[in-house]
Amino acid sequence: MPPAPPRRIAAVDHDACDECGLCLPLCPPAAIRLTRRGLAVDAKTCTGCVKCIAPCPVGALAMVDA
Amino acid sequence: MLRADVLVVGAGPAGCVAAWEAAAAAPGLDVLLIERDDAVGAPVRCAEGVGSAGLREFLNPDGAPWYSRKITKVIFWAPDDSEVRVGGGDIGYILDRTRFEPALADEAKRVGAEIWTGTEAVGMERLNGGWKVRLHGPRGEQDVLAKLVIGADGVESMVGRWAGLDTRVAARDMESCAQYVISNIAVDPDAIYLHFADRWAPGGYAWVFPKGVGVANVGLGLVALKSDGRSACAYLDAYAARYFPDGEVLGRTVGGVIAGVTVKQAVADAVMLAGDAAHMINPLSGGGIVNAMKAGRLAGRHAAAAIAAGDTSARRLNRYRDDWMALLGEDHIKYYRIKEALGKLDDAFFNRLARTVNAIPVEQRTLGRIFAHALVNHPRLIPVAARLFL
Repeated sequence: MPPAPPRRIAAVDHDACDECGLCLPLCPPAAIRLTRRGLAVDAKTCTGCVKCIAPCPVGALAMVDA
Repeated sequence: MLRADVLVVGAGPAGCVAAWEAAAAAPGLDVLLIERDDAVGAPVRCAEGVGSAGLREFLNPDGAPWYSRKITKVIFWAPDDSEVRVGGGDIGYILDRTRFEPALADEAKRVGAEIWTGTEAVGMERLNGGWKVRLHGPRGEQDVLAKLVIGADGVESMVGRWAGLDTRVAARDMESCAQYVISNIAVDPDAIYLHFADRWAPGGYAWVFPKGVGVANVGLGLVALKSDGRSACAYLDAYAARYFPDGEVLGRTVGGVIAGVTVKQAVADAVMLAGDAAHMINPLSGGGIVNAMKAGRLAGRHAAAAIAAGDTSARRLNRYRDDWMALLGEDHIKYYRIKEALGKLDDAFFNRLARTVNAIPVEQRTLGRIFAHALVNHPRLIPVAARLFL
């Protein structure tokens, strides 16, 4: 039996991210947090739905293997 | 534990006015306004345009240091770049939000509200009929027990989510925006420009809002679902290269504008949401500053009254949402329907409309007349009239 494909989740490129917060209300499980230390995606909560990816104005979010 | 009667999260236009109104409505009320950023008003994530009438309900702009330009003209650019000028008068202002928000915050301070900058809320839970809110800031980590929390924490709002409210946004209602401050450009410094073209800003529009002579906020908002996969910044790079090739980019910003309707639940027990946090943005124009101030005013007054009455239940606080819906929220539902109708029209329609409107003498050219011409083909556009863009 082939191994299950790895789970895919959103990840943030901190150099590109402008910390505008646009992605937060797009995230159904509220897996994205924005604090003074920057944007963070909670790998445990992210469902990999990709809703945050395309709207990012600077293209700072991408899907990666969990 | 530190205590407050009203804790306002976020010192933007909604939060500053909410704190101002709550403190003014009830002298002796402990109002604490917290702001995550180190300064109120910065960084600016906004095109900074406001309508004159709405602004004047709060602060008098005459001679004020917190605006950049007075606007007396609106110029539409059609997809084929034809220009439609709309007549003048006291249309609005381009603010300098790095000075405008501090002016609002000063009003809140003047009536007794306390303001902590560099302080963020990182979580909250119910306690003693109010909320225990965890703060991180220059004073370290501490809890504040608030009788009532006003979430004015913007597009990225967490207060609503912590309170169990559904503040999620569908991708089709999210405008992805990018904006440069560009100098060395030749535009009318008394006019705002609105440019509708699918190839430059699909599902939204591009704008030029003057900050001074030869300097402007140049930006655009688009709906990613309608784009070709490029980011808003990539669209703006192409736009600036095409229309302002000799301009010098002085600053860049990006952000999201929720172009939907007011959230169904804007309150929970001892919690109210105001401004962008409650999606109180004109879904046609994307304008939110005056809306946020009006919502903040209602929220502050209702907060003070609820605390005086000893009843901060969601049931009572819903009076705030009812007042908001009557003031502007119901209009936004109409505007949203118009936006959906406009979204079905193609560039060719707007090019034809521009030609028709330009046949009207400029002194007779009002937004109302422009829409009258649009209505010939599209009666669903009827309620727009002059409140469209500011």
